[in-house]
Amino acid sequence: MSLLTAMLLISVIGLATYGMRSIPILLLADRELPPIVAVALRNVAPAVLAALVVTLIASPDESNFGVSIPEIAGLVVGGAIAWKTRNLIFTLGTGMAVFWLLLWLA
Amino acid sequence: MTAALAPTTEELAAVRRKAVADSIPLAIPALPFGFVLGFAIVESVMPNIAGFLSSPIIMAGAAQLAVITLAGSVSVWAIMATAMVINLRHVMYSAALSPAFKAQPRWFRLLAPIMLIDQVFALLAQRVDDHPDTFRHYYGASAAVFFTVWHIATILGLAFGSVIPESWQLGYAPAVMFTGLVVMGLDRRPAVVAAVVGAGVCFVSLGLPNRSGLLVGALAGVIAGLVADRANA
Repeated sequence: MSLLTAMLLISVIGLATYGMRSIPILLLADRELPPIVAVALRNVAPAVLAALVVTLIASPDESNFGVSIPEIAGLVVGGAIAWKTRNLIFTLGTGMAVFWLLLWLA
Repeated sequence: MTAALAPTTEELAAVRRKAVADSIPLAIPALPFGFVLGFAIVESVMPNIAGFLSSPIIMAGAAQLAVITLAGSVSVWAIMATAMVINLRHVMYSAALSPAFKAQPRWFRLLAPIMLIDQVFALLAQRVDDHPDTFRHYYGASAAVFFTVWHIATILGLAFGSVIPESWQLGYAPAVMFTGLVVMGLDRRPAVVAAVVGAGVCFVSLGLPNRSGLLVGALAGVIAGLVADRANA
């Protein structure tokens, strides 16, 4: 791939990404959103981030959808610690510790 | 919210420190990801300098990795389409944060979206109701952390390739972090419904091309949360 092609490709994708990230803010910030839309937008974070976790650990082509017991256990314990402490360092530490421990035991 | 007293200079400095402290644990898992990206750039048919510049220009790890690994094997149109689908969730991020930009100056409205990555969204989604100055300072400090870490990680990956052993499975860390952030954001029953349905529908639609199951799940979750909210009212 030539440098010119590569730079064009990356620039187009970069511009489009900036557009996707900026246009809703630029269009909606000065508007009073209908209450139903405002309520719906509050659910974007939990819905997208929960779906993102699924795509991070699962894949359709592997057995058991690529999900293992250590992975699930790490998320459950990490999630519980997050709920209790609301501290991301503790969340990462305990989630990874449980994951590694179960990997090592298996 | 603007009725609240504007934060003082000292309070804003504390906000920035808090933003850095909150961002660092999220940035740690980005390090191995940046390594993988840097290594992929070296292996790719794409010129190294173009691959590296994808970090400041695109600033979205998953899309960058897709572009760099697909280069040379499929058409540029297919690469563009894949990157667009992967990044489409950012439209929802931008819309979800838009109420917090009501009281923000124009320069910040134009600048902030450059760094509207998953981690920044996850942190700021919990701060939409903050005072506008607090929101802006938290956003800026958090964005600076991720901007710095991401570029350092990409450069280290380019220079040293895969130095972290595969057996550590550090690729798992982001899943833990995002799970923690989902849990911390579960302040209302509709949010719980949105998260459960989002994850469930995403799981059953994993087989869809270009990771579009993520979008299907996210939309289903938002709609389910809305239905739950109506049912409560």
